[in-house]
Amino acid sequence: MKTFEKLAAVALVAFGAVFAAANFARAANSWNLPGEEALRFDAKAIDVMCVLTGDCPADCGAGKRVMGLLRDTGELVLAIKNAGPFTGTAHDLKPFCNQVVTVDGLFTVNYSVKSFALQFVKPKDGDWRGANAFVKNWAAERKLDLKDDKVKKWFRNDEMINAIIEEQGKLGLKDKGITP
Amino acid sequence: MRKPWLGTAALALLAGTGLSASNAADAAETPAPKRVTVTGEIIDSWYLLSEIMFAQGSAHHQCAIWCARGGVPVGILGEDERVYVVLTMQNDAAVLGNQGILKAQTNKVTVEGNLYERDSVNYLAIDKIVDDAGIVN
Repeated sequence: MKTFEKLAAVALVAFGAVFAAANFARAANSWNLPGEEALRFDAKAIDVMCVLTGDCPADCGAGKRVMGLLRDTGELVLAIKNAGPFTGTAHDLKPFCNQVVTVDGLFTVNYSVKSFALQFVKPKDGDWRGANAFVKNWAAERKLDLKDDKVKKWFRNDEMINAIIEEQGKLGLKDKGITP
Repeated sequence: MRKPWLGTAALALLAGTGLSASNAADAAETPAPKRVTVTGEIIDSWYLLSEIMFAQGSAHHQCAIWCARGGVPVGILGEDERVYVVLTMQNDAAVLGNQGILKAQTNKVTVEGNLYERDSVNYLAIDKIVDDAGIVN
């Protein structure tokens, strides 16, 4: 094979690898959920109360309301969990309130409830991003680096959580004299 | 007799409430809510539905607080074994990370509200807490 042909073949393989990585690197990881189905789809990020009742604040509730994904088919998807530890999706979806995004994650069905665990989100003309906005925002509010141990275990360092655990105990039975 | 001002007034009302025509159409696809009374345990919906860990009673209390603070929607596991996703508490839709709701994790409650059933999810807009028995499980 001539040098030019070899270079062309290498370039073709490299292009293919880059193309494949761009398209599939953000594919959802299995979490072995009940009735798990990995899926990537386009949907509008919405405030569930708005869709169900017509009560629609301009900012989808600024991260305080339950958010979902409304598909072209009319299916309303409950976006129950993101990819962070003990965190939901409102902070991931609120920047895209009433906008169409591409999402990648896992459907799960249990207790006859179908819900979606969001792992990656991509704005229409933007890049893929991991669905971990709550922790990033939590760190930014406290001016902490994402690699800080306090951030990695945000749930053990959150002021509101610690105040409630102090009051109620880990089991919630401190008022009955039961603590671990 | 046609009354064109009615349409204009309706549009002005929609604009005034921030309700877009698109959202109004979305709302129209949901069946009318049912008035319900639900008794059950306030639960961490994610860990109950995902079965990643046991998610009921005092054994899960701390973890339920973590998830509620992190913005995972809070639910109620009803005595009817149905899971209800809470959209409002006493008419307040700011339920994610809400301190009052964090403190009520794992409690057995009886609530009244509107039930919206859509695409395999039971959404509950609670307007009244009838009873809060605290943690009994």
